[in-house]
Amino acid sequence: MSHLIILPVAIYLGAAFLIALLYKKDEKLAGVAAISFVLLSAIASIISGIDVFTNGKILYFAGGWERPLGIVLMLDPLSSIFHIMTNIIAFFVILYSTVYMKKYTWTPYFYTLFMIMLAGMNGILISMDIFNIYVFFEVASIASFILVAFGLRAEELEASMKYTVMSFIASTMILFAIALIYGFTGTLNIPAFMSETSGLSPVHLWFIAGLLFSGFALKTALVPFHTWLPDAHSMAPAPVSAILSGMFIKVVGLYVLIRITANIFIVLPQIRILLLLFGALSMVFGGLMAYGQKNIKRLYAYSTISQVGYCAVGLGIGGYLGSLGVLMHFIAHALSKSLLFLNIGAIEYINGTTEAEQLQGLNDSMPATTLFGSTGMLGIAGVPPMGNFWSKLIIIIAAVKAGYTGIAVLCIIVAVITLGYFLKLQRTVYYKKVENPVKKEAPKMLLFPMGCLALLVFISGILLVPGIKDKTLDKAVSVMENFSYMDIKIGENR
Amino acid sequence: MIVYIIVALMFFTGLYGIIAKKNIIKIIVGINIVGYASNLLFILLGYKWGGIAPIITEDMTAVYFIEKAVDPLPQALVLTSIVIDLAFVAFLAALAIRLFERYGTFDMDKIRRLKG
Repeated sequence: MSHLIILPVAIYLGAAFLIALLYKKDEKLAGVAAISFVLLSAIASIISGIDVFTNGKILYFAGGWERPLGIVLMLDPLSSIFHIMTNIIAFFVILYSTVYMKKYTWTPYFYTLFMIMLAGMNGILISMDIFNIYVFFEVASIASFILVAFGLRAEELEASMKYTVMSFIASTMILFAIALIYGFTGTLNIPAFMSETSGLSPVHLWFIAGLLFSGFALKTALVPFHTWLPDAHSMAPAPVSAILSGMFIKVVGLYVLIRITANIFIVLPQIRILLLLFGALSMVFGGLMAYGQKNIKRLYAYSTISQVGYCAVGLGIGGYLGSLGVLMHFIAHALSKSLLFLNIGAIEYINGTTEAEQLQGLNDSMPATTLFGSTGMLGIAGVPPMGNFWSKLIIIIAAVKAGYTGIAVLCIIVAVITLGYFLKLQRTVYYKKVENPVKKEAPKMLLFPMGCLALLVFISGILLVPGIKDKTLDKAVSVMENFSYMDIKIGENR
Repeated sequence: MIVYIIVALMFFTGLYGIIAKKNIIKIIVGINIVGYASNLLFILLGYKWGGIAPIITEDMTAVYFIEKAVDPLPQALVLTSIVIDLAFVAFLAALAIRLFERYGTFDMDKIRRLKG
């Protein structure tokens, strides 16, 4: 049973090479193969997720080497939530890209790169060894640089260049931190290092924590480190933007930041203040920049910065409510932002542009696309039945309870700004009246994944219903409050 | 101690190349230098002056081995990080060629269509 947790990584890595070798001539078969591989690992991740949520965390020892010597892989409720979300969203995105990517050449290589990126993301989530996290992080990142530049237009290459150089600086910082961790403590295992942190001198500890924090904050695109994100996420092909904005920055950045703040550096509670500061900055800056954007994709990219700021703020506040808010906001935002990027992709597929001024009154020509798009927009803006409303509410309540009244006020203001720019966009792009509209709906294969995601966005608030919350989110929050696997006996795996 | 200072010098030389230089090729060279600096730091952390290779032979006691042998783990890690650096540099070089085709220049100040 414990082999199930490495299955998604194995499937994706295998799929990448199979597609590149066998189907590089046949685009249709490559697409079908990609869909079935992602479906398989989504099922594997859901089964292992159910197992984790009912029976607790699973350890896996790579190569059968036991704990003090070998590399430990682990799936616990916190990583399991990210794991399931990654694979579900990847499934919808890959369904969508079978049609969308037709306008590009060499699509089998797109699937190959996509699978390598997913392998890296899944690998980060099951690693309990900090160097292992680094390696999977680079696997995912390098695949994502190439995916951003996949269209080979001048702007895409430029965006990819900026993204690559910034990411290299981030990964160097992380590598330096890992070298220092190994030099000072002689271990790379996260729980083992965690128990050593109290023995380190404050200067060394701060240096390591600072390097790790800024490295992963750069990948999360918190505000002083955000410059690459609007370019990369607005220039990538729509399915790639959807997975980058929806899941990638959360798995590669936010998830590791959660591990760093909540699990590793418990002796440095000041990191939470840094997160509050950067999170509040991202929230406000991203929101204000999004307000002035003309290009819809770029607007969505800035909106991502702003919404990830909420997650960072929730993580900075900490405590039960803060942690719950982070997880809920991450889930709701991942669903609605990937829906929105798929949506603008469908609009681009039919109309050939993403500029807000050239797109007017789409409600008459593309009613279904409009419906799903407005669901996503209202979802992110936080209109009541949807998940984002509750998550923002929880974060605001947490801020007030912890005594950060200023942050709570900022959260409310940014929520209003978010609603503002989405309503502005909706009024012109979707619901403006135009004369003699021509009906030209997007293909069904583009509509189906969007419809499923829109449904998920609509019902995502259900995770906070008491009976469901106890079994899922509460268990993940308890990992964020108190984490170790040292209570498991050596030789056992749960 | 002096070797660690050299590592820091290398790191900052490379970082200067990445941040201050405008030519893509010079940025790539900077990236290379930064990569070497981090690899060198890793190797130095596991190295012992006058150490031996971590292979036990028959005439060696365990105590002598632990005292003398170099830590092999950082070297294994460095192999991985060299491969990652290689991937970065190879991809950036390919990207630089494509950028030159599109913009006709290696100057990052002129490659600037994305704003706002």
